[in-house]
Formats: sequence, C-alpha cells, structure tokens
Amino acid sequence: MTEAAKEQRRWRNLLGMVKRPKPVVGATPADVVHRENKWSLLRYRARPEGVAYATPVLLVPSLINRHYVLDLQPGRSIAEALVARGHDVFIIDWGTPGPEDRLLSFDTITDTYLGRAIRVAAQHGARGKAHVLGYCLGGTLAVVHAAVRPAHIATLTALAAPVAFHDEGMLSLWTRSKGFDLGAMIDATGNVPWQLMQAAFQMLRPTLPLSKAAHVVDRAWDDEFLDGFFALEAWGNDNVSFPGEAYRRYIEGLYRADGLMRETFTLSGEPVLLRNITCPTLAVTFAHDNIVPEESAAPLIARIGSTDKERVHLPGGHVGAVISRKALATLWPTISAWWAAHDAESAAPVVVAEAAALEKPKAKRAGARLAR
Amino acid sequence: MIGWDSWKKGFDAWEDATAKHLEAWLRSPLVLGPGGAALTAAMRAKRAADGALDAWWSAVGLPTRRDQERSMHALNQLQSRLIDLEETLAEMRAQQQGLQPPTKR
Repeated sequence: MTEAAKEQRRWRNLLGMVKRPKPVVGATPADVVHRENKWSLLRYRARPEGVAYATPVLLVPSLINRHYVLDLQPGRSIAEALVARGHDVFIIDWGTPGPEDRLLSFDTITDTYLGRAIRVAAQHGARGKAHVLGYCLGGTLAVVHAAVRPAHIATLTALAAPVAFHDEGMLSLWTRSKGFDLGAMIDATGNVPWQLMQAAFQMLRPTLPLSKAAHVVDRAWDDEFLDGFFALEAWGNDNVSFPGEAYRRYIEGLYRADGLMRETFTLSGEPVLLRNITCPTLAVTFAHDNIVPEESAAPLIARIGSTDKERVHLPGGHVGAVISRKALATLWPTISAWWAAHDAESAAPVVVAEAAALEKPKAKRAGARLAR
Repeated sequence: MIGWDSWKKGFDAWEDATAKHLEAWLRSPLVLGPGGAALTAAMRAKRAADGALDAWWSAVGLPTRRDQERSMHALNQLQSRLIDLEETLAEMRAQQQGLQPPTKR
C-alpha cells in the first residue's frame, strides 16, 4: 500500500469510527453442556473430521473477565484454533453474579463449580480425565483445585497464573496497604464492582488510555488491526463483578497471607499444598506482564511435586501475548503439542491390549523436547 | 507522514517516562495510604446508609435486600446439592452396570 493510500484509509477509518459495526466476539460454535447458578460449561463443536485426541481440554478463564477472550474473533480465536487442531474443547463461562452471589464462597467456586466442570469435561474423554488450562485467576483456581482434587486432571497448564502474591506489583501493594479495609468494601458493595477493579488495573499503567489512542491513530489505516483492537476493547470493557465472600477469601488468604507459598491456604477445609500436584504441569509466564508479574507466576514450577514440569517464559504482556496472531502461531501450537504428547504417553496403559496386538512399542513422547 | 512519525516517537518517549513516574508515585505509601482511607470512608458511609434503609424496611415488616439475597443464595446451594446427588446416582448406576470404574471426587 502506498503512503498516500495509507493516509486516505487512515482518515476514512478515523472519521468513520463511530459508525464502525460492533466487533463479532465469541463466535466459534459451542453448546452449553452444563448450567449451574450463573455459570455454564460450553463445549465447542468439533471440526468436521472429528476429534483427534483422547483427552478433552478444559479452559478456565478468570472470574472477573468474560470467557470469550479465548474466543475473540474468527481467525483470532484460541478456541477455534484448538478445535481446528482436533482437540475436544470445553470452556467455563462464569456468567454474571447476581446480588445474592455476594455470599458465594471461594470454596464453592473452586471446589464445587470447577470440580464439576472438570468432571463433565473428563466424562467426554476416553480416560475420564481432562487437560486443564487456567488463565490468570482461572489458573490460580485450577492450581488450588489440582492440589486437592487431582483425580480427573490429566495435565495442568497455568497461563499467567499468580501463585505467589507477595511481589512488588501494584496490586499486591494495594491489597496489603493499611488504608484498604477489605471488610468495609465487601459489606458496602456485596459483590466487588468491576468498575472498582478496573480502576485498580488502570493504576498499573495510568497512561494506557492515552497510549492506546495514539496507537489507534497510528494504525488506523489497518482495518485488520482496528477489528482486533475494537474486539479487545469490547472484551476489556465487558467485565464481571467479583462475588464478595470469594473476594474476601482471595485477598485475605492469597494476597495478604500468601497462602499458597506459605501453605496456609485451604480448600473446603483441606490444606492446599502445591507439592501435592503431581500431574504433568506447564507454566507459561510473560516478560512484560504487569498484571501477573513473572515473580508471581513462576514459583509454581519449583513448588509442585510433579517430575514432568516445565516453564515457558515468553516476551509480551498479560493479554496480547496470549491472543495475538503470533501466539496463535507459536504459543498455542506448543501447548497443543504438549497435550498431544501427554495424551500419547498416558493413553498407553489404557490401550495396552490393542498396543500389544499391534506389537508397537510404547508411544514415543513426541513432546519430549518440551518436558522439564 | 514524517511529521506524524516524529510526533509518535516523541509521544512514546514521553508516555513511557510519564508512566514510570506515575507508577512510582502511585506505589508510594503516601498515595496508597490516603487512597485506601478515602475508599474505606466512602464504603463505610454507603454501608451506614444501606443499614439505615434496611432498618426502616424491617420496621415495616418487609424483608430487606439482604434477606432476599440470603434466600436466593440458599436456593442456589440447594441446586448445587441436587446436582451433586444426581452425579452420585449416575456414578453408582454406572458402577452397577460395569460401565466405568468408580470415580473419585
């Protein structure tokens, strides 16, 4: 495209921005396979040639963001890409908490709801287990669950998931500051309003709105960029309030007490010990993640009891590095290959008779290069 | 668009420096402390106003918003327990029919 054409398109797009159609988000076809309280479990429809792997994948998004960040736009959707690779993909849509959900406990969400989602997804696999991938706070929930209820978890993938909370990040400092009275806030608001949490995230980079505006003007000639930008903005401004009692526990037990590192946190009365996690585990951390800094997500691998564990550290930020086109071309194929390798490995005992009849050696670990 | 490119470079440099400065400032206990105290004061005021409204509502014999929330929450808990039971029954039935090994919760 010539410079003149770029300029023409830039101004046309900038002037027509108000009339620009709303971005289509979360468009990959899916069916609701379970519904409980406000949350539901979605199963993406398989590709026409069917599912290629024995173990389903369960995606666990953050409680405070909409699930469709992992299914942002056609051609820019993690769910769509995983389905195209032959995975049987489930995702939790946490829904919108009602005023009564201020009484919903962290244990109910992490034990009852997440446990149910894992079991329902696992039922659809040949081995009664599922690959569980948790993103951000969803990753923390998955880690806590896996430490206490590992029965149906084939592998655990923690994507930018905080486990150590006494870092020097803004959110950690804010929740530990003496002026912040958690009880007063929850008593007053019930569910913690998303606007309040968004304001806290704004504090992480106060100049971000200005920076975004300048970047949009800079790239306004690029329709594809604008489509992605507005889809991400639509998601970024479509947040969910945090159930009050669950938030109280989250802040007191994890942020303030650093309960996962100090082994003081419990789930339904049972201690959450990271060393009890023995399933194959992959942790993905990002170098420029100011929401979940590396020092908050990285300690998982050192603390868990698994012998098959790996951390992948990538450049990029908390959201961009997960949903960018580059991530679709590199990060997600890597995770998919890791799942496939562990499918092949753990499927061996299940199909032992068949394997013996075929006189094949035990399935070779295709993803050995990824492990440890 | 040389002018725009130069402006953008200058803006990026300014934005980066300003963001770092603001971040350092916002992390300071001198900001975090009073910020938290102001938020807490606003929340306590809201709770007091809600409490007064609830007291008036109760005085005329009507359930408060909190009463209704508790009832709705109890219904949601019942729903989860019913689903738990359904799951247990399905597992037991499957075990009896030898369809799947016992599952562990």
